[in-house]
Amino acid sequence: MSVPSGQGVTGRLQWLLRHFRREWQLYVLLAPTIIWLLLFLYKPMYGLQVAFKDYSIFRGVAGSPWIGFEHFHTLFGSEQFLRALKNTVIISFYSLLIGFPVPILLALMFNEVLNQTFRRTTQTIVYLPHFISSVIIAGIVITAFSPSAGVINTFLGWFGVDPIYFLTKPEWFRPIFVGTGIWQEAGFQSIVYLAAIAGVSPTLYESAVVDGASRWQMMWKVTIPCILPTIIIMLIIRIGNNLEVSFEMIILLYQPATYETGDVVNTFIYRQGIQAGQYDFAAAAGLFNAVIAFVLVVTANSISRRYSRTSLW
Amino acid sequence: MKLTSLAAVLTGTVLGSAALAEGELRIVDEPLELTIQMNHARYPVYDDDWPVEKAASEMTGIRLKNDTVGANMRTDENSGKVEALNLMLASGDIPDIVGSSRLKDFVNQYGPEGAFLALDELIDEHAPHLKAFLAERPEIAAAISAADGKMYCVPYLPDGKYGRGYFIRHDWLDKLGLEVPESVENVEAVLRAFKTKDPNGDGLADEVPYFARQWPELIRLVTLWDGRSSGSDTYHDFLVEGGEIEHPYAGEGYRDGIANLARWYEDGLIDAEVFTRGSSAREYLLSEDLGGMTHDWFASTAGYNSLADSIDGFSFKAFAPPASVSGKRIEEHRRIPIKPDGWAIGHANEHPVETIRYFDFWFSEEGRRLANFGVEGQHYEMVDGEPVFTAAVLESDEPVNAQLWGIGSQLQARGYFQDYRYEVQWSNEYALEGIALYEEGDYLINQFLGVAFTADEQKVYDRHWPSIRDYMLERQQGWILGNGDVMKDWDAYIATLDEMGLEDVLEAMNSAYKRQYG
Amino acid sequence: MANMNLYSRGDRIFVVTNMVLIGMFAISTLYPFIYITSLSFSAGFEARAGNVILTPVQVTLEAYKYVLSDSQFWISYKNTFIYTIGGTLMSLAFIIPGAYALSRPQLLGRRFWNLTVAFTMWFNAGLIPFFLNMRDLGLLDSYFGIIIGFAVNGFNIILLRNFFESVPQSFEEAARMDGANEFQVLWKVYIPLSKPALATIALFCIVSRWNGFFWAMVLLQDNDKIPLQVFLRHTIATLSDDQEFGATLFDATYSFETVSAAIIVCSIIPVLIIYPFMQKYFEKGILLGGVKE
Repeated sequence: MSVPSGQGVTGRLQWLLRHFRREWQLYVLLAPTIIWLLLFLYKPMYGLQVAFKDYSIFRGVAGSPWIGFEHFHTLFGSEQFLRALKNTVIISFYSLLIGFPVPILLALMFNEVLNQTFRRTTQTIVYLPHFISSVIIAGIVITAFSPSAGVINTFLGWFGVDPIYFLTKPEWFRPIFVGTGIWQEAGFQSIVYLAAIAGVSPTLYESAVVDGASRWQMMWKVTIPCILPTIIIMLIIRIGNNLEVSFEMIILLYQPATYETGDVVNTFIYRQGIQAGQYDFAAAAGLFNAVIAFVLVVTANSISRRYSRTSLW
Repeated sequence: MKLTSLAAVLTGTVLGSAALAEGELRIVDEPLELTIQMNHARYPVYDDDWPVEKAASEMTGIRLKNDTVGANMRTDENSGKVEALNLMLASGDIPDIVGSSRLKDFVNQYGPEGAFLALDELIDEHAPHLKAFLAERPEIAAAISAADGKMYCVPYLPDGKYGRGYFIRHDWLDKLGLEVPESVENVEAVLRAFKTKDPNGDGLADEVPYFARQWPELIRLVTLWDGRSSGSDTYHDFLVEGGEIEHPYAGEGYRDGIANLARWYEDGLIDAEVFTRGSSAREYLLSEDLGGMTHDWFASTAGYNSLADSIDGFSFKAFAPPASVSGKRIEEHRRIPIKPDGWAIGHANEHPVETIRYFDFWFSEEGRRLANFGVEGQHYEMVDGEPVFTAAVLESDEPVNAQLWGIGSQLQARGYFQDYRYEVQWSNEYALEGIALYEEGDYLINQFLGVAFTADEQKVYDRHWPSIRDYMLERQQGWILGNGDVMKDWDAYIATLDEMGLEDVLEAMNSAYKRQYG
Repeated sequence: MANMNLYSRGDRIFVVTNMVLIGMFAISTLYPFIYITSLSFSAGFEARAGNVILTPVQVTLEAYKYVLSDSQFWISYKNTFIYTIGGTLMSLAFIIPGAYALSRPQLLGRRFWNLTVAFTMWFNAGLIPFFLNMRDLGLLDSYFGIIIGFAVNGFNIILLRNFFESVPQSFEEAARMDGANEFQVLWKVYIPLSKPALATIALFCIVSRWNGFFWAMVLLQDNDKIPLQVFLRHTIATLSDDQEFGATLFDATYSFETVSAAIIVCSIIPVLIIYPFMQKYFEKGILLGGVKE
């Protein structure tokens, strides 16, 4: 909705006044959120400048000297940074390709369960791993994949395969990491889609039944199209998180032997900045992450706006 | 009127001096209160109620009041995170005294910027005990000074030299009729025997001859081929050889060591899961009667001998470092003599002289005992001039050091000189035996105590070193696991290190080293 | 779903396969919880040795005794409830009106406002500026600070806005014809029609508050205000192996593994209880009844 053009300045002003007289309640509803964002999130954003400064906590942001893009030079100058970036993109992409549909699939499957007790119980169970800390999950994964007593190697042993020391092999790191992430989070992430499915008007299903559709067809023709806006929004946001790979879990699972495929931007930075208060360097990296993420989101959002009615803004 | 008041003043003075003469440790006449930030994983704030604090304030007249910012951040000495200190600095109110683990780098960065006071002159003029102590051990001042050559903190100095040692199942040796290995060839023979001759008697070749709780302890074995794995008690650190700084992972002895360790790994002489087994290694492998030999802390490892209750004849004791291929016997690891922990004086402190005298108090005889043993009469008694813990302390369910932390003693965030005698009194007998064995043989070697960089040197280090270190570790694990042959890859490896800037890093470190240590 | 009949054999196979797959996935995801419960009832030494796999080894209540007898545990537990309930209510108070306003087509500058919200999902100022801001606002070391300082989150707003946008126009028109203003439309039409969405947002708020620890650690100075997750981390820090003296807990029947497992189990129980209550909002038919078409 925008102010109508033409009619001159006074015309527009009059239009605005009428608009506010009619719609003032909307702005009252919006105000608390905007004020909160300004006060708590936008106000401290001056701190982003430390990415371009030689920051000393003692001297403060204002008192620290500008050094321009030096931190970025240090960051990019390393070959290993480029490798970390590549790994981040690849892991993120796998997570997106495989991990994004799983919660949707799970929600659709839950939807087709008739027995309410079964559905409620299994829903509760699958969302539990989200609450178990990464340290425990990592411990479980390491044990499961261990060459001497792990279940995976035992299982492979039945087929005559020699034990594999999975967590020291670069080629296995990404699948194990992505798989662990999906296993831990899919249940919790499916909640959004369950809510979307619950919002589908029952009359649509009723008319589909009248038309003689099978459950399978109803899933494709009714459910999925109705939750498509939610899926798109979640996808755009997920694309924006493309450079965020769970730092904690990588640290717990990786080894120098698997840096080749497992080292990501955040872990690389963590190893770089050991000295006290390397906020400036971390801020530079964070800014880099944020800018790339934002560019991706803007792109995805524009595409989405053109081809569907859903978009972030 | 005048006469009475004069009399009062005179009497007051007389009484006053009498009190002073009695308590020569007293620093101030009027009780003085100083604020302190103290943050450590185990004691997040400075507790006014600590018996040690009460005793100290009685003796010196100076009371410490807790003013810790970020108490819930709990400085983690393992990860080196000093968020609590960062928050304190950011909030702009620096207390009179700031104590923490991992303090040194922090004060050496912000001290020259003006956040903390330089202590050299203060110590020189007002801290006789500290001054004498530092004169006796010049390496301390060199090790903790900032790049501008000044000291900004008084460090915590652990006592007790020995850290880790070699341990082996003596009962397995007896069972197989073997001698304690004296050379690297013996070690290999023994490990092979453990693997093939089934000393745990279960009919399976499930023994794990050499295991380690932390995988760099596997790399430690390169010393058997005259290589080195680290120059300090931190893993992968630089070392000092003939006054020059070098890195152990670029040495030829290291190369030979890795080649042999890769061979041992392939032959099953080393735990197949050594890189991921982690802290459960001792519990699991020893209690399941599978582990044969390791290199680990005396104090904790010796304690596993209580497994003799469940495993017949179990005996896991220390043995002397085997001779390397050239006949040298060394124990590369030892406790760090100067920890980067301690305390410093904030720039806003209005009583720097009193504060340095307070720091000095802890280096006096009474102060040192207070910091180590607790309060005389309550926690320890003097027996024949030696401090001995009371029976209540020694026989309690709670470990002695945990008790001491609870009363304000043995605080790493305080600058003091530890006294090994506190530990001896409750050390495991096997640990003490092992330590005596190592003491006899005098196996320890020099340690690299760190350098303080100028801004330029820091830049070079930051730009190159983390990537170089990562590359070294990747190749290290790779070679052990059998990806590549260290002998064949060596020249390319050294060339890559040069390309990545190792020479520049060493140059920066050597320039700092010479400036600091002369 | 009660009125749906199975139509064909194809459908029946579909449903059964579905249940089997879900069942298998559920069993695998149940394992971590079983594991951690078993850990919490096991002896410290056995836990360290990694001998606990499915069932407790050398069952003992020592870990729970250690945890439950620590008054700090109960204080932290209480605090977590305060932060969770207070925080969720505060969040809903901001998010619901905000998301509603953003979903209305007649809002001027809609794209701009949405962008303002979305932008914060990726750009944040960093630890120290945020900390200093909270300090300047006088919100350090206070319950209110934690509750209000994290009340709004771009993701939740956008998600709820998206759900509001999918409410059919017809309901609103009916209300307007009755002369309702924006507040009433929100209150009488949108909120009742968005129960699954509100339940989701509420759940996300509850979960993030329940699990949150980082900012609590940074902003709270006092021990008496810390939530359970911070208590957990403190306990781990206190009980963790001292590098040199790892054996100090050798003879104890608890270790930091079993104690942290006990604390985690205690923190998951409320989560286990609350979700089933919210599940009915995620089921079909919740929108039936009482709404004019």
